[in-house]
Order: sequence, then C-alpha cells, then structure tokens
Amino acid sequence: MELLERAPVELKNAFLRVLGSLGVPEGMLAILSAVLIIGTVIGVFLGLFALMSVMERKILARVQNRYGPNRAGPFGLFQPVADGIKMLTKEDLVPRAADKVVHFLAPVVMMVPALLVLAILPYGRDMVPVELESGILFFFAVGAGTEVAIFMAGWASNNKYSVLGAMRAIAQMISYEIPLVISAVTAAMIAGSLSPSVIVAAQGGFAAGFLPHWFVTTPWGFTAALLFYIGALAESNRSPFDLPEGESELVAGHLTEYSGFKYATFFMAEYIGMFAICGMFVTLFLGGWQAPLPFLTVVPSWIWFFGKVCFVAFTMVWVRATLPRLRVDHLLAFAWKFLLPMSFAAFLSAACWHYAGRGPAAWFLSLVVVGIPYLVLGLSFTSRFSVSRRTYLFSE
Amino acid sequence: MNFPGIGLLKGFVVTARNFLGSYVEKDRLTTRQYPEERPKLPENSRSFPFLVFDGEDPEAGMRCVACKICEKECPPQCIYIIQDRDAAGKPLKRPRIFDIDISVCMSCQICVEVCPFESIRMDTDYELSSFDRFGSLVLDKSKLLKSNAYYHGIHPTEASETDARIEADRKKKEAAAAAKAEAARKATAEKAAKAAHPPEETK
Amino acid sequence: MICESLKTCFDDPGKFLGEWFVLLPALVLLLAAAAAVVLRNLIHATLCLTLSFIALGILFIALGAEFVGFVQLLVYVGAVAMLIVFAILLTRPERLAKSDTALSGLGPAGGALAGFVTLGVLLGFLFTSPIAKKSLPGPASAPVAEIGHALMGDYKAALIVVGVLLTAALVGAAVLAMEDKNS
Repeated sequence: MELLERAPVELKNAFLRVLGSLGVPEGMLAILSAVLIIGTVIGVFLGLFALMSVMERKILARVQNRYGPNRAGPFGLFQPVADGIKMLTKEDLVPRAADKVVHFLAPVVMMVPALLVLAILPYGRDMVPVELESGILFFFAVGAGTEVAIFMAGWASNNKYSVLGAMRAIAQMISYEIPLVISAVTAAMIAGSLSPSVIVAAQGGFAAGFLPHWFVTTPWGFTAALLFYIGALAESNRSPFDLPEGESELVAGHLTEYSGFKYATFFMAEYIGMFAICGMFVTLFLGGWQAPLPFLTVVPSWIWFFGKVCFVAFTMVWVRATLPRLRVDHLLAFAWKFLLPMSFAAFLSAACWHYAGRGPAAWFLSLVVVGIPYLVLGLSFTSRFSVSRRTYLFSE
Repeated sequence: MNFPGIGLLKGFVVTARNFLGSYVEKDRLTTRQYPEERPKLPENSRSFPFLVFDGEDPEAGMRCVACKICEKECPPQCIYIIQDRDAAGKPLKRPRIFDIDISVCMSCQICVEVCPFESIRMDTDYELSSFDRFGSLVLDKSKLLKSNAYYHGIHPTEASETDARIEADRKKKEAAAAAKAEAARKATAEKAAKAAHPPEETK
Repeated sequence: MICESLKTCFDDPGKFLGEWFVLLPALVLLLAAAAAVVLRNLIHATLCLTLSFIALGILFIALGAEFVGFVQLLVYVGAVAMLIVFAILLTRPERLAKSDTALSGLGPAGGALAGFVTLGVLLGFLFTSPIAKKSLPGPASAPVAEIGHALMGDYKAALIVVGVLLTAALVGAAVLAMEDKNS
C-alpha cells in the first residue's frame, strides 16, 4: 500500500534515474520531469473527460429510466472514441462574416486556463505539480481567462445568438464569481493559508476517532461548500445555470457558430474546467486527498482525491438531471440577493467558529450565525416566488 | 410555509429514486433493445406487398395473371407491370416484369383488396434499409415472389381464409364446369334423340 | 555565441528559459499596448488591452511578485476587461466595426503630448522620490502572509477607507439603478 501511495512519483523518479544514467544533463532532467508531470496530469484529466462524457449521458438516461449509450464497445465505453472520430471528421465551418482570427483563437484561449488551473491542485500526499503559496488566488486569477475566451467566441462569430449567449455567460460568471471566491476565502481563512496543500493538511485527523476534520462537517463549512458548489455550477456553465447555451432561446449561445474540432475543444475545455473546479471544491471542503475514515487511510491518497472528484462530478450530473434551467433575472437575483449575503454569513460564521475555540460550542454558535440569515433570506425568497394553485378561467 | 430548500431536496430524492430504481426494477426500463430484442408484431401488421406463388417453382406457380388491376388502382402508382408474350407475340396470362417501388409505396393495401386472383399480399418484413438509394428499393419479380408457405408463416389466419376461398372457388368452378358439361351432354343427347325421332308436327 | 547559448539551453534549460521568461511578457506587453492604441477595431483594441493586462500579470509573476501578478490577473482580466467589454457591447453596437472618430486631426498629436507629459511627471517623481535613492532590496518575493499582515496591521486604516469608498460607490450605483427602474 505504501508502494502504491508513492507509485506515481516513484515511477517518474525511476524513469528519470534511467535517463540520468544514460548521460542526460541535470537541467534537461528537470525539464523532462516537469513534462512528465504535465503529461500525466493532462492525460488523467483527458481520460476523466472521456469517461465523463459517456457516464453523464448514462446517468441522465438512468434517471429518465433509459439505458443510455451502450452500443459502442462494452457498456458503451468506447462512445468517446466514436464521438472523437465524429468531431474530427466534421467540417470546420467558419461564418463568412466572422472575425476569423478571433474566431480561431477563442477555443485556444478557452483551453489555456482550463489546463493551467490543474497545476496547483494537490492530487495526493506530497503530489502537487506546482507548490504555490497563493494557489487559491492563482486558481481564480487564471480562471478569469475563461470569460475572455467566451466573449471572444461570442463576438467573433458575428451571430446575434452568440453575442447574447456570451453576454449572458459573462454576466453570470462575474456575478457568481463573488460568492464563489468569498466562500473559498472562508476555508483559506480557517486554514490560515492560500496554499491548497496547507488547506488540505488543515483538514487532516479525526474527531472522536472517526469523524474527519473536513471543513464540510462544520456549519460554516457546509454553507460555504454549498455556496461554492452553486458558484462552481454557474462558473462551469452547467445546468441549472446553463443559460449561456440555453438551446430553447439561444440555439447554443457562444457555441452556435462552432463545429468540428473547435467545438470539441470548447467542450473539452468546459469539462476539464469543471473537473478542475470539482478538484478545488474537494480540496477546500472535502478534505482533499484525506481518507474519510481512519482505517481507510491505507488506500492511496490520490485514489481518494480522484474518487471524491468523481463523486462531486456525479452530483453535478444529478443536479443537471433534477433542476430545470433558471430564468436570467432569477439567476442574477439569486446570485446577488441570496448567495452573496449567505457567503458573508458563512464568512462571519467561520470567524465566530474560530474565535469561539473550534469546539462543540463554537459549532453551535456558527450554526446559529449561519442559520438565521439562511432562514430569513430563504423564507423571503420562497414567499416572493411562491406559486399559488393555478385556477383556470374557462375550463374546469 | 415550508422550510426553504425542502422542495429542492424532494426533487433530488425523486431523481435518485429513479436512478437507483432503474438498476433494480427491470420493468422501469421501457426501452426495447432492438436488434437483440425484437417486437412481436401483431398478426395483421403489414409493410409492403409481395406476390404469392403456389407449389415449388415461383414462375410456374405464380398466381398473378398480369391483369394490371393493382397497377391501375395503386394510389401512388408504385406498381409497374408488363405482360409476358410468347414467341408469336400472343399475350400470356403472366407478367414479364412486375416491379414495386417500395420507396413510393404507402402500404395502403388497396392492391391486395382489388386483386381477383389472391395473388398480391402484404409482407411484414420491415428491415429494408440499404446502402443503395435507388436500385435496391425497387423490388422486381424475383424479389417479390414468395411461397404460399411463407404467406402462411406470416399471416396464418388470412392465408387459411384465402386458401379456403380459392378451394371453394375451384370447387364451384368445377361444379359449374361439371354442370355445364352435364347440360351440354344433355343438350347433345336431346339433339341426337330429336334427330332420331323427328317431331310429328313439323311435317 | 549562439553555440554558447545553445549549450546553456541543453545543460540548464531552466536558467535559459528563466531569462527569456522575463523578456517575453515585457515584449508582449509593449506590443499589445501599442496595438490597443493603434487598432481601429474597438473590440480588437479591447482584446489587445486584455492581452497587455495578462502580459503585465505574467511579468509581475516572472519578477517574483506572485501576489501582485495574480491580483492583476484576477482584477484586470476578470473584472476590468470584462466591464470594458460590457460597456462597449451595451453602447452603440452599430459603430463597433469601424469607429473612425479617434485618431483624426489634432487627436494623435494631443494624445502623444498628454502621454509624454504624464511620462515626464511620473519619471520626475520617480527620480526625485526617496525610494530612488534607496538601494534595491533584491529580488526576494514578498510572502502572501506578510502582505496580509501588512494590510491588516500597518495599513488597516487605508484598507478601511478604501473599503468604505468602494461600498459607497456600490451603494450609489445600486441607488442610481433603482431610480432608473422606478421612473
């Protein structure tokens, strides 16, 4: 088990040792090591993307009591291969009136932040590609590039649906980034660092022998996790916040004029971004690579990390299968009138928890601090949007 | 007034129940996995027409006599018939060409209803897709001709009724022919008798 | 010379790249900024401006000022550039394609004059200020925690004032928007 825990690192080191004995200079080895890490991370996430693209369809199908894709290969697992071939062989259409350079650059720009943010996630014990002191900040700073890409795609397509979709996407992403960042800050505040590995380390250990010290087990942590989760759904343009590509109104939003491999690139970037934000969610609130129970610590840490990421991704599909798409004004009202005050409440609650000594009493204090705003805001929201029984005028 | 958020949770429970239930209760999944599981078609289902022949040899046992009634009645005009002729150019009671374009056919069954010789009937085969857009969707005589046994296989009730009717027709015809022969025989006999004993009054 | 640099490239690529990693974003920054001024197409100019923001952020990071670099990216790329885009898209969309009002007549000369005056003022301050006389502290990067302690300790008054100012601006904007809705 110890061997398995270290397996990815040891494999890389062994490979480099072999190269070193063959006379490759030291500096080159450092670059090669980096390339190996980058290649592995990107490879794993591309694999997850391929798996997700078929599992999402299968899960959605099961929720609707269907089978889902099961024709290509065993259990339909080769479906991504078929989709990839289809995407690659499709014609790459560029509208005549499009801004061709920007139209071409948009998917590339979209891919860059999606891949860059993978660098700072702690995938296992001592397994961080880039150990950054302000990793959380890096994550959100680089993630901001996605908005630029979506705007470029929407505007360069020279299509009214594209522009509308892009504007919706930007409005939505700017609005949801605020609760997202504030709820992430609560975790950073309690851990006392912006470094993801320190935050994960702060969630180690077990209370009463079996309860993990994950932030999600505290009232403030649970609230912040929910807020972060909702913000993550909106940031990765997933249902119920998939208005930017709401096909009933906007054809496909900023993706309307994209086809073939450019479309596939967008799709891939969106899913990798989604996995990245799931990884950040796991890091911040679900204890990163920490095992959920003491006796399970024998299982390698990176398995826990990716297991948790897959679980969070599964819940995102579950949410997609359950909730209908929001209306634009409801979407923005929800962000500014509910999520933002709630994120402040979670922030305050975390501070109370910290200064009340982090014990059981602090637990209840933070529950009260976060519960009262929730009840007030929630009840005011439900009363505002409450629907009475529909009465019919002419047919009864 | 409900506790805020309860409605959302109820929704999640519903979808989770459907998700897990689809793995446990088989009758939740209504999808029929087509190439492996085929639907059992009702007996009277129909796709496109075919020609029935009796016996073993398609050409010899062909019921069709090239009367062209079906060709004339066909609403989308998808039937094309040319009557066969012998070496002397005399029309024969069978078609030389009998084509049905099933890309045009609308499966109305009018040809079946008008056929006086119980020759044209509806098939049940629905797996007719092909890579050829034109050729393979025009069925010629060799593809259209199918045995009476096949007909019994796909529409047993209708086929037995048809056979009974043909049999009855044949018997009636035989009876009629016998009666006619009898009458003819009688008539000739009478004639002969009359010739032997000429009537008195004609004198 | 070229041989020498190629040898460094092979022996110690990290060092080789490190040198270029400072120069490249600076070059991109200058080119993108120039393009943002020169380009006629308003959206292209905005995108070039965004690129220059990104290059500046990378330059900060390359020079060791991680925190400032990330904040530069987060605030300028994530918020400011997007607000500019929004402002452009929400106003006069019909003139997006060719905005030829700028760069005509005395415009360029005036702009250049204003630019050089600003540059002169900035340089004057830079060379006369006491900072210029201090020797540089070296390329040690300031840890995030230190910046945080400084903000919450020595500069807490300034932080609170800035916070109040921004809150006032936000409330003012909300009030303006509400009045617009009621009328």
